[in-house]
Amino acid sequence: MNNKSMKDRRLQVFEILRGAAAITLALAVATVFIFLCSDEPFTALKYLLIGPIVKDNGGFNTSSFYTILAAMIPTIFTGLATCVMFSAGQFNLASEGCVMAGGFVGALCGIYIHMNTGLHAVVCVVIAAALCGLIMLVPAILKVKLGASEMVMSLMMNYIIMYVVLHFLNNTFADRSKGSTQTYPFDETAKIPSLVPGGSKLTWGFVVALVFVVIVALFMYRTKWGYTIRMIGINKAFSEYSGMNVGGVIVLSQIIGGVLAGMGGSIEVLGRFNTFLWKELPGYGWAGVTIAILAKNNPIFVPFAAFFIAYLNKGCMLMSTHSDVPSEMIDIIQAAIFLFFAAEQFLAGYRQKLVVRSAQADLAKTETAEGGKA
Amino acid sequence: MPQSEYVVQMKGINKVYPNGIAANRGVDFNVRRGEIHALMGENGAGKSTLMKMLFGLEQPTSGEIIVNGETVNLTSPTVAISKGIGMVHQHFMLVPSLTVAENIVLGMAPKKGGLFMDMESAVKLTEEYAEKYNLHVDPKAKVMDIPVGMKQKVEILKALVRGAKILILDEPTAVLTTQETAELFRELINLKEQGYTIIFISHKLNEIKQITDRLTIMRAGKSMGVYETASITKEEISRLMVGRDVILTVEKEKAQPTDTVLSVKDLEYTNEWNKKMLDKVSFSVRKGEILGIAGVEGNGQRELVDMLFNLNRPDAGSVKVNGKDIVGVSQRNIRSLGVSLIPEDRMTYGIAATASIEENLISDRVGAKRFNKGPLFDMKAIHKECDDLIRDFKVLCKSGQQKVGMLSGGNIQKVVVAREFSCDPVLIIADQPTRGIDVGATEFIRKKLVELSRAGAAVLLVSADLNEVMELSDSLIVMCGGKIAAYFEDTAMLTDEIMGEYMLGLKRQSDEEIGRVCHE
Amino acid sequence: MKQLMEMVFQAEFVASVIRITAPILFAALGAVIAEKAGLTNMGLEGMMMIAALFGTLTSYWTQSWAVGVLCALLVGMLLSLMVGFFSLKLKTDIILAGIAVNMLGGGGTIFLLYMFTGMRGNTGSLVSQNILIPTLEIPLIKDIPVLGEILSGHSLLTYLAFLFVFLLWVLLYKTPLGLNIRAVGENNHAAESVGIKVRRIQYIALAFSGALAGLGGAFMSMYYSQGWNSGMVAGRGFIALAAQAMGRGEPVGTLLSSLLFGLAQALRTKASALPDISTYLVSVIPYVATVLGLVFYAAATVRRVKKARRPKEEAEEK
Repeated sequence: MNNKSMKDRRLQVFEILRGAAAITLALAVATVFIFLCSDEPFTALKYLLIGPIVKDNGGFNTSSFYTILAAMIPTIFTGLATCVMFSAGQFNLASEGCVMAGGFVGALCGIYIHMNTGLHAVVCVVIAAALCGLIMLVPAILKVKLGASEMVMSLMMNYIIMYVVLHFLNNTFADRSKGSTQTYPFDETAKIPSLVPGGSKLTWGFVVALVFVVIVALFMYRTKWGYTIRMIGINKAFSEYSGMNVGGVIVLSQIIGGVLAGMGGSIEVLGRFNTFLWKELPGYGWAGVTIAILAKNNPIFVPFAAFFIAYLNKGCMLMSTHSDVPSEMIDIIQAAIFLFFAAEQFLAGYRQKLVVRSAQADLAKTETAEGGKA
Repeated sequence: MPQSEYVVQMKGINKVYPNGIAANRGVDFNVRRGEIHALMGENGAGKSTLMKMLFGLEQPTSGEIIVNGETVNLTSPTVAISKGIGMVHQHFMLVPSLTVAENIVLGMAPKKGGLFMDMESAVKLTEEYAEKYNLHVDPKAKVMDIPVGMKQKVEILKALVRGAKILILDEPTAVLTTQETAELFRELINLKEQGYTIIFISHKLNEIKQITDRLTIMRAGKSMGVYETASITKEEISRLMVGRDVILTVEKEKAQPTDTVLSVKDLEYTNEWNKKMLDKVSFSVRKGEILGIAGVEGNGQRELVDMLFNLNRPDAGSVKVNGKDIVGVSQRNIRSLGVSLIPEDRMTYGIAATASIEENLISDRVGAKRFNKGPLFDMKAIHKECDDLIRDFKVLCKSGQQKVGMLSGGNIQKVVVAREFSCDPVLIIADQPTRGIDVGATEFIRKKLVELSRAGAAVLLVSADLNEVMELSDSLIVMCGGKIAAYFEDTAMLTDEIMGEYMLGLKRQSDEEIGRVCHE
Repeated sequence: MKQLMEMVFQAEFVASVIRITAPILFAALGAVIAEKAGLTNMGLEGMMMIAALFGTLTSYWTQSWAVGVLCALLVGMLLSLMVGFFSLKLKTDIILAGIAVNMLGGGGTIFLLYMFTGMRGNTGSLVSQNILIPTLEIPLIKDIPVLGEILSGHSLLTYLAFLFVFLLWVLLYKTPLGLNIRAVGENNHAAESVGIKVRRIQYIALAFSGALAGLGGAFMSMYYSQGWNSGMVAGRGFIALAAQAMGRGEPVGTLLSSLLFGLAQALRTKASALPDISTYLVSVIPYVATVLGLVFYAAATVRRVKKARRPKEEAEEK
C-alpha cells in the first residue's frame, strides 16, 4: 500500500521535474541567443530574469509587480477558455477573435448604455460575454452536425471577427475628432476600477479573473457538466456508452470558451483604456493556448502559468529597454517551452526506467512480505 | 525424402506472452508441399499466435521453424515473405483510395525513367497474375469501390506477386457471402493444382471437409493431432475442437424465472459488406434467469449486443425492455430503463483510461440527486459510494483517485463491473465478461452475476468461453451463422459434444424447438 | 458597382489574381502533401515568415536572388523537419508543434532580424531591385493582346507555383514515392505490412511541405512586398490550410480554391480603392468564402456517408 503511494508520488515529482527541465531548456536556448546577439549579455540576462520584480537598487519593484499582475487579466481568461475547450478535445482557437469582439462590444455598451456605477461595468461584460458565447455556436454546431474541423473554422473566424470589428470601428463608431481611429470614450461608470492606487493598470478585473479561476476549476472538477467535458475529451465512445449527451456538451464547452474569452476582452478594454482602439487581434488567444498547455488544462494552474508568461514578457520588455536585445525574444522562449512541455516523449526514457524500477521494487517487497509470512 | 515432403515444419513451439499467458505449448505443426491444410480451433486456442510466428509477426519463446528444409529465424514479415510465405489477414491490409494494381505493387512499384511509376506494367503484372491464377480483379478500380470478395483476391494476389509459395489465409470466409466463398474455393483449388501450399484457418466444418487435404486441430494452446480430412468425421473434429480440459462447476440455486424483461423479435442486420450477420433472431430473457449465448465468435453475437444497446441499428425487428422499444433510443434512456452492459471491448467503451477510478465508477450516474448539491457535486457522497464499490468489488488499488489505466486487466474489469452491477439493473448484458483477466477476478465476476440474477435481475451472458457459458447459464442458446441454432432450456444435461455440433453448424434444431425461447 | 465591374474585366486585374494566388498556392500545396501523409502542418504560417526573412537576408548577403530563394526553401524544410521531430519522435501534438513554429514566425523573426542586422520590424533599406526575384516576359505570348498582359511578366516563382500544381500531382500520382505517401497517410498498417518505412515517408512529406511553404515565403518577401516586414504573411498559412480542406486535399482542387482566395483578395484590393465601400467588409470575403466552402464540403461528406448505406438496402430488396 505504502509502496504504491510512493511510486505515484515519485511519478508526480518526476512530472514536475520534467516541466522544470522544459523551462530550463527553453531559458538555456534564450541565453544562447542572448550571448549570440548581445554586446552586454549579462545586463540583458539580469533584466530578463530578475528585472521584473527587482529594482536597480535591489529593492522589490512593486509597481512592476502590479504591471505583471495586470497583464495576467486577459490571459487568465483566455487560458481558462482554452482549458475548457481543449479538455473536451476541441481544438478551437477562436478565443483570439472573441477577445477582440468582447472588448469591442463591451466598449460600445460602455459608451451607448448609461447606468449607475457598479452595475454598468457588469452589464457591459455580461453582454460581451454572451455575444461571444453565441459566436462560438458557429464552429461548435458545425462540428457536431457536419463534422467540420473546428480548428480551421475558428482560425477563419478570427479574421472575420477582426475585420467586422474594424469595419464598425471605422465606419460607424469612430470618434472623428481624434487623430487615430478609436471610439468615443466610454462612461466613467463603465470603467473597471483600479485595485491599487497609482497609475498601474491592475484593476478589480484581476480579482474577477481569480474568482473565475475558482469557478471554472469547480465547474470542471466539481460539477457533472465539467466532468462530462473531461470524460468526452478522454474517451468519446466511453462517454456515449455511459449515457452522456456528447454532442450537447461539445457545444457547451465551446460556448463556455467564448463566454470566458469575451469576458477577458471586455474586462481588459474597460479596465486598461478609456476607449476602444485595437486595430488588430491582440494575441491573447494564442497566449491562452500556451497557458493552457503549461497548466496541462487544469484551471487551478492557469494563474501560475499566466504569471510565468507575464513575467517573461515583462522581463523581455525590460531587457529590450535596458540592453540591445529586442523584446520579441519572448516568442522564442515561449515556442521552446511550448514544444518541450507538450512533448509526451520528452524524457520518456527516464520515466520508463522509473516505472520499471518502482515495479521491481514493488515485486521485491511483495516477495519478501510473502517470504515473511511463510 | 522427408525434406521434400514437408514445406513447413514447426517443432516444439512455445510462446509465452509478456503478460504471462502461454498461447502455444509444445506445438508441432507440419504442412506438406502442395496441400491445403486446415488449422482449426476455437477462439483463443492459439492458432492465430502460431500463424503470426510463421509470418514473422511474433517470435517463438522456444522451438524451431523449418521452411523448405532450412531452419529459419523469422524476425519480421519481410523475412517471411523472402522465404516465400504470404499471409492474408482477416482485416484487409489495403489502402482504399488506391487502385487494385497500386495496392498490389505497393512498396515494390515498377519504375520507368528512374523516377516515375510504371503504371502500365503494374496493371500488366496484375492482369498477368490474375489470368495465371484465375483470380479476376479489375486492376484500375479503386479498392474502396470493389466488393469484399474481390478485396480478398487482391490480398491473395499481393502475396503471390511477392513470390509467396505458401499462403496463410486467416478465416478467409468470415467476411464472404456463400457465392463468394464458393468462388474462393475454386481459386484455392486452382492454386493448389499449380503447386502452391495453403494453410487455411477456419472453424467451419463443412468448408474444411470440402477443400482441405489434412487438418491440425488446436485446443488450449496445444495440438490435438494431425488428421487426413477424408478419414475423420465432422463429429470427431467437433469433439476434438470443442471441449473443456477442466470442467468448472458453479454452485447456484435453480432459477425461478418470472416476467419477461428483454424481448427480441425478428432482428435482422446485414453488414456493410453485404453479409447477413443477424437473420430473424428472436429470444427473450426473464427476470431471475441467466440466458447464455454460446457460439464461435463472429456468428452475429457482437452485432446482436450492439443492437441491444443502440451502438448500431438493425435493418428490421424490435428490441423491447419491459415492453418499451429501445431501437434508436439513446444510451441515456436505455440505461434509465435499468439496462446495463459489460462491453466486450473494455478499453474503448468500458473506461476512460486516464481518468481516476472514481470518475470511471460514476460515469452513468453523475446526474443522480444523491451526488449533486445544487450545481455542485457532493464529493463526500461520491467518495463514499466509490469507496464502498471499491471495497465490495475488491478492486485492488491505492485509492479511488488512482488512474484506472494503471490497473491490471482484472481490476479494470472489476471497475466496469462495479459500475454496471451497482445501478440496480433489471437487465444485465454481459459480453465476454471475463476475457483475458486473472482467475481471481474471473471467479468474482461470475459469482456476482449469479448473485444478481438470483436477486431478480435478468442476465444475458454472451461468451465464447464454453466453460463459462455452460456452467453459469440457466438456459442457453447457440448462435451459428447469424441464426439461433439451438435452445436448451436446461443446461445441466448438456455435453461438450452436443454443444460442438450446434456451434459448428452440424446440427440445427427445428424452428419450433428454438421458438420456445420466446416467453410471452 | 459599375466601376468595380469595369476593373474586374481588365486584364490587369486577372494578372493580379494570379500574382496574389501564388503564395497561398505554395503553402496550400504544402498542406496538401503533408495531409496526404496523414499530417496536419499547422506551422505553415510561421514557416513562411521565417523562410521569407532568411530569403531576404541571404539574398542581401550574397547579392543573389537565387541563393536567397534556395535558402528560404531550405529553412522551410528544416522547420518542417523540426515539427516532424517533435511530433513523430517526441510525440508533441502536431498541431501544437505547428503553433510553436507560428510563434517563432511571429516574434522570433523580429528578434532574428535584429540579431542579424540591427533593424526592427522590416528590412526596408536592405532590398534593392537586383536581389528581387526577376520577372519573366514570355516570348510570343507577351505580344498577344490581353492574354499577354495576363500571362506574361510574372515573377519566376509565380510560374513555379502553378507549375508545382502539376509537379505535385505527378509526384503524388505518378511516382512510387507518391504512392507510398498516399498509402502511409491512409492506412499506415497496410504500408508497414509491405515493408514501407512509415516514419521516413512522413519526414519526406513534411520536408516537401516545408520547402513549399519556404518558397511561398520567398515569394512574399523577395517579390510581392519587396522586402520583409513583420505583418507580411497575414494569415496566408492558415488560409492555405483551409484551401487544402476545401480543395479536398487534391492538387487541382486546391489550385481552384486557392484561386478563389486570390480572387477574393484581389477584389478586396480593388474594392478598397472605391469610395462608399468598406475596405474591412471587403477584406472579410476570402475568409467567409472559406467558411462557406468548408460548410458545403462537410455537408456533402455527411450526405455521401448517408448514401453509402443505401446500396445495401437496395441489394436486400432484390
